[in-house]
Amino acid sequence: MSSLEKRLAAEKRFKFYGMFAMTLSLFFVLILMYKIFSTGSGAFVRTTINADVYFDPNFIEVSSNSSKKEIMKASYVDLADQVINQNHPGLDEENFIKVREMYTRKFDYQLRDYIANNPNVIGKTVNLDISASSDLDQIVKGNYPRNVPEAQRKINDYQLSILDSLDSKGKMSKTFNFWFFTNGDSRDPETAGILGALMGSFYALLICFSFAFPIGLLASVYLEEFVKPGKITDIIEVNINNLAAVPSIVYGLLGLGMLIGVFGMPYQVPLVGGLVLGFMTLPTIIIASRASLRGVPPSIREGALAVGATKMQTVFHHVIPLSLPGTLTGTIIGMAQALGETAPLLLIGMVAFVMEIPGGAFDPATGLPSQIYLWSESAERGFLEKTSAGIMLLLSFLIIMNTVAVLIRRKLEVKW
Amino acid sequence: MVDQNSNYALQTSEVYVHYGKKMAINNVALNFPKNEVTSLIGPSGCGKSTFLRCLNRMNDVIDICNVKGKFLLNGNVDIYSPDIQVETLREKVGMVFQKPNPFPKTIYENVAYGPKIHGIASSQNELDEIVKDSLHRAGLYEEVKDRMDDIATGLSGGQQQRLCIARAIAIRPEIILMDEPCSALDPIATAKIEDLINELKENYTIIIVTHSMSQASRVSSKTAFFHLGNLVEYGETGKIFTKPDKEQTNDYITGRFG
Repeated sequence: MSSLEKRLAAEKRFKFYGMFAMTLSLFFVLILMYKIFSTGSGAFVRTTINADVYFDPNFIEVSSNSSKKEIMKASYVDLADQVINQNHPGLDEENFIKVREMYTRKFDYQLRDYIANNPNVIGKTVNLDISASSDLDQIVKGNYPRNVPEAQRKINDYQLSILDSLDSKGKMSKTFNFWFFTNGDSRDPETAGILGALMGSFYALLICFSFAFPIGLLASVYLEEFVKPGKITDIIEVNINNLAAVPSIVYGLLGLGMLIGVFGMPYQVPLVGGLVLGFMTLPTIIIASRASLRGVPPSIREGALAVGATKMQTVFHHVIPLSLPGTLTGTIIGMAQALGETAPLLLIGMVAFVMEIPGGAFDPATGLPSQIYLWSESAERGFLEKTSAGIMLLLSFLIIMNTVAVLIRRKLEVKW
Repeated sequence: MVDQNSNYALQTSEVYVHYGKKMAINNVALNFPKNEVTSLIGPSGCGKSTFLRCLNRMNDVIDICNVKGKFLLNGNVDIYSPDIQVETLREKVGMVFQKPNPFPKTIYENVAYGPKIHGIASSQNELDEIVKDSLHRAGLYEEVKDRMDDIATGLSGGQQQRLCIARAIAIRPEIILMDEPCSALDPIATAKIEDLINELKENYTIIIVTHSMSQASRVSSKTAFFHLGNLVEYGETGKIFTKPDKEQTNDYITGRFG
């Protein structure tokens, strides 16, 4: 074989290896995606039971004239029981409990919210879709098998017969599960939502950005533009690169030891989470920002200096604006990494059961990844869906952030 | 010695420049007459650009660069004196670089930047007037008057360089330093810049570094020939290019080396 043929054959082989590697990695990504989507898509749908609800004034502690606050405070447990009795007449006590278990435990809250929004409904009958319990939901979705002995089922034979009769009357239906996006965490999978974790992550990232971006930008500007290179800058440089590679759990320990231990900041709040994520993102921002400052041609600095601008004016009027797209891109990529980081959150306590949706950086909260972790630990089948749906949400945010970073780079970067 | 003759815009003597330990300029003395064009010629690495950058202290930015010598502006201002703010010096001594380096901002902002930071204009109208006037003097106004808000990097190379000249004259300097201003331009753009230099010398003292000997002979009245950090010969341009005193100069202008 001639040498040219050999070289061409080598090229072909190399192309093949490349294709093979690409296909293999795509295959794994597809498996991952398929698994997440097939498990998680169920979380966006909720099984409901259609029922006639008579808002019987005898069972309601408040009236149409009550204030919203009073309505929200009152108990509707009796009303909920009454509604079940109404829709399933003639139940003995044992069967009543079984039927009650088919509806969500938060049935009374659902009624409360309905009254709060429509106070005039008291004394009237309304046709409502009541959320089913998670176990029933899982049976309907086919995630729990029906054809196993009763003892191995969460839903017993009696409940199955009720389900079938409801189904034959067309009372069972499915609805889009808004609760997943509007609720905080809950013990019951059917009412558990991601909003609390989402807001926790949002506040943490807000703190992370407002802490790390200015400090990172100024540090890199100082290192790149003002300080004379020497031994000390070399040491700083090595350390910054090193810090960018430190495992995130170490930053979590730093937050626990320093922010919570020494400065006495509260446990479990996005403020501490954000600061810890900020520590973690800082080296990434500094590295990206320095690279992009270095990318600004020296001729621009000379041009500004030559018309008599001071060093400071040169940097702030010309160099920083030109380097900002690169800095922002690095910042967003660093923040996307911070969004997905779980270990630091575990250490500073942002991994507890929090029902309330945090209203600020000082309220106890979880973050998206720690919420996913919490749900994945739960035994109930309903939370498995939530776990995957949470991952889907987290991935979408990561994709959005990274796309924004690419767009900023494409749109704003100055071509020389 | 520097005499106190005020016909000189800039007088220099005993100039030594070192980059670290390497000597770049060795005992140069040169005086630049007012409202005339002086060109600095010589082979690459002869120190002519280094010398030029000493005149508005652009070498200050380079840490290892060490400048010694006397530099007198208008016969009385020592530009390396600690009392002199380098920013005020550069207000008086403008510079145009080898590669056009407009700021990636609008054409208007490019010219207005200098007057703005020095507070030369007291009102928006005055600033507009300065920008217009500077572009006029740089021979660019007619070409860009309808697109003042376009980004300057979209202009052609020659236009960019004239914009840089407009930017330099917007702060009303006395001296304009030009470091091979045409080396990145085509012959037509070069001819335009050379015409411009001829017009500008009415109001400014111009010192130009050039690789093109024909350019030096076209635009300048005085020429200085540098070689290996030494000033070999200085004199009337006509004399340097027709009957130089030194053999080295003769060799260079006849193309025997460099």
